[in-house]
Amino acid sequence: MSVSVELKGVIQEYPAPEGEGVIQVVGGLNLSYDKPGINMLLGPSGCGKSTVLRMMGGVRPFGVQTPTRGEVLIDDKPCDGPHDDAVMVFQRYANRPDLTVRQNVSFPFRLKLWKERVQPAERERRVDAILEAVGLADKGSLRPAQLSGGQNQRVALARALVLRPRILLMDEPFGALDAQTRDEMQTLLVQLWEQQQCMIVFVTHDVSEALILGDRVTVLSTRPALVADDFTITEPRPRSASWQRSTEGLRLEERILERLHAAGGHGQVRVSV
Amino acid sequence: MWNPYATLESRQKQALAAVTVVVVLALWSGLSLVVGPNKLPAPWSVVSAFIYLAWDADSGSSVLLEATLRSLSRILVSGMLVVSVGVPLGVLMGAAPRINAALSPLLDPFRSAPVVAVLPILIIWLGIGEASKIAFLFMGAVVYLIPMVRDAVQAVPSTYYISARDLGATPWEAIRHSVVPIAMPRIADAIIVSVSVMWTYITVAEYTSNTPGLGNILQRAQRAFAMDQVFVGLIVIIALALVTYQGMLFLKSKLYPWEIE
Repeated sequence: MSVSVELKGVIQEYPAPEGEGVIQVVGGLNLSYDKPGINMLLGPSGCGKSTVLRMMGGVRPFGVQTPTRGEVLIDDKPCDGPHDDAVMVFQRYANRPDLTVRQNVSFPFRLKLWKERVQPAERERRVDAILEAVGLADKGSLRPAQLSGGQNQRVALARALVLRPRILLMDEPFGALDAQTRDEMQTLLVQLWEQQQCMIVFVTHDVSEALILGDRVTVLSTRPALVADDFTITEPRPRSASWQRSTEGLRLEERILERLHAAGGHGQVRVSV
Repeated sequence: MWNPYATLESRQKQALAAVTVVVVLALWSGLSLVVGPNKLPAPWSVVSAFIYLAWDADSGSSVLLEATLRSLSRILVSGMLVVSVGVPLGVLMGAAPRINAALSPLLDPFRSAPVVAVLPILIIWLGIGEASKIAFLFMGAVVYLIPMVRDAVQAVPSTYYISARDLGATPWEAIRHSVVPIAMPRIADAIIVSVSVMWTYITVAEYTSNTPGLGNILQRAQRAFAMDQVFVGLIVIIALALVTYQGMLFLKSKLYPWEIE
C-alpha cells in the first residue's frame, strides 16, 4: 500500500488576539511521510502540531486560510481539505449519544460517499470485524453513555478504521484517559496497526507515548513550529518497560526532552511513567 | 435543612405538598369570608360553579367540555403549524450563519413586540373566526420557538460537525446526521416552552368572539361579575397547561433517554 504525505514550506499565521498583526504558528515547515508506519509528532502544547495534523487530509480550521503559504501534497496531488483516504481520531470521541456502539461504528455508511463505495454486505462484514478487533463485539447494542472513556475511544477508533483509511490522523487521542487505560489503548493501537498497516500520524505531548509507539518521532519546536528533531526507532513493538529503561530508551527520552527545551517551549511537556 | 443536595423520600415530599395545599385552601376560605364573594369566591362556590359549567342537566350538555375541546384543538392545530414552520427555520438559521443574518432582522423585533397588540390587526385581515385565533397563537409562539431552535443547533459542540466532515460528509450531511440529532433534546425543550406560551395566549386569542373556548368562558364570566366562574376558567387552563407540559416532558424523556450523559 503506497501512500505519501508531503508538507512543503508550510507557513501558518493567525491574526493576533490583541491588536493588529499576525502570529506565525508554523514557519516554513517541511515534512514528509512516504510509507506505512506509526509516526509520532511531538511538541509542547500550543505549538501548532494539531494545525499541522489537520493539514494532512483533515478538516482545516474554520475562518482562517490553512496553510497561509506553502503546499500540502497527498500522493503527490495538492490537497486543500478533508481527504477521502485520511480519517482523524480526536481526543473528544464525537460518538453520537443517541446511537448504539454498532450504529456509531457504521455511521460513515450513512454518508453518500461511503454508501456508494461499500456494498451493504461488505459494510456488515467490516463492522463485525472491527468491533471484534477493538474488543467491543459484545457491546454492540450499548450506548456511549454506558461505556467508559477508553471504550468510547475504541468506538471512535473503530469508526475510523472501518473505512480502511490509508492515512490515520490521531490528535492526542489518549490524552484524556487515565494512565492504565492509556496503556491498554496503546497496546490495542499496536495490535490494530499490525492487522491494518496504514500510515499513522499521531500527535502527542507525551514523551513516553512517542517512544512506546513510534517508528519515527518528529519533534517540533514552538512559535513558529519547525522540525527540531526527526529520528526512527528500530526496536520492535511491543516495547517492554525494560526497553524504556534501557540505555537506548533513556538516551532517546533524554534526546527528546533536550530538543524540546532547546526549542524554547513555553508549553507543557509530559513524561508519564 | 439547608442542604441543596439532600434527597427527600417521596412520602415526605407528598406530605409537604399536601400541607401547602391545605394551608392555601384554608387561607383562601378565610379571606373569601372577609372580603366577600364579589371579590374572592370561596373554594366551595368555585366547586359548585365548576359543576354548573361542567354539566347542564336541562340541555344535557357541558359548556366546559365543549370549551376545553375547542381550546385544545386550537392549540393542537397552531402547535403543529408552529413546529412545522419553527423547527425547520430555526435549524436552517442555526446551521447557516448567512441565513441567520438574513432572517434575524425579521425575527428579533417580534420577540420584544407586544404580540397582543397584533391581534386587532389579525382580526381585520383574517376576520373574527378561527383563522385569526390560530394565526395569533402561531405568531405568539413561533417567535419564541425559532430563536430557541437556532440556539439549540448552535450549542452543539463543533467536534461533531468536524468529525462528520472528516469522515466524508457533505456540509449538509454533517448537519443532518451529526448536528441536528444531538440538538434534538434542546429542540424538544424549545417546543415544550412554546406550547406553554400558547396556553398563556389562549385567553387573549379567545377573548374577542363568542365562539366557545376557555378564554371565552373567562370573558363572559368577567362581564357578568361571576367571579366563581372566572376562577373555574383559570384553574382549568392552568391544569391543562400543566398536563400538556408534564406529558411533553414525559414524551421527551422517552424519545431522548440518552440526554443525561
